[in-house]
Amino acid sequence: MSIAQVISAINGMEADGVVGRYAIGGAVGATFYLEPVATLDVDIFVAFREEPGQILISLRPIFDYFVARGGVIEGEYIILAGWPVQFLPPTTPLVEEALREAVTADVDGVPARVFTAEHLAAIALQTGRAKDKARLLQFVEAGALEVERFQAILKRHGLVDRWGEFELTFLKNEP
Amino acid sequence: MTFDLQRVLESKRALRRNLAGRPVAEKLAMLDALRDRARAIRGAATRQETAVLRESPPEYRVNTRKD
Repeated sequence: MSIAQVISAINGMEADGVVGRYAIGGAVGATFYLEPVATLDVDIFVAFREEPGQILISLRPIFDYFVARGGVIEGEYIILAGWPVQFLPPTTPLVEEALREAVTADVDGVPARVFTAEHLAAIALQTGRAKDKARLLQFVEAGALEVERFQAILKRHGLVDRWGEFELTFLKNEP
Repeated sequence: MTFDLQRVLESKRALRRNLAGRPVAEKLAMLDALRDRARAIRGAATRQETAVLRESPPEYRVNTRKD
């Protein structure tokens, strides 16, 4: 029961054409760049294939695919290799861009597509919960962000003011 | 062991840098272990809760019989 097995299963789903493209986000995604922080689930962002005449996005094909391979549905999660996995559509232009520009990392010979550090940090800023702010601080303190790239993302997605507030609150020692 | 806060903080930062620099596969394996531990703690807490002896509240009966 491991995340590596989850990644293999999701690679298989993508190769079988169930979804257009996937990328790992959330705490598991952040772990590719930072020290590991305990999490109870895996967030997978997916580009759904558009069906003619279909207005609502359905997770059904994903759930059917994994149930046929031993996965178990629990609420909005599907349990794969012991991990609750949540499949999420990109709901903002920022997440759409993150999915498009996600990079492939090597996990012991298995390819894993993951959001870039700059996109994960920008999404944390946009989401803005306490744990997201803590993660954003981790990215900054670890020096894991390419500054120019991060600033360009903030500008493109109207997050410059929010970053200013965050900087003032958490990163400026002087009043 | 030291009580020098600056040294303690620097040592924590060094540990975090060291962990962040480990290979991804190793860090993901750490997530597996962290999750197993969190689940074990959560399970133990639930068992402890159910083992607590509770006094059941009295049944308040309403006498609806009209004498």
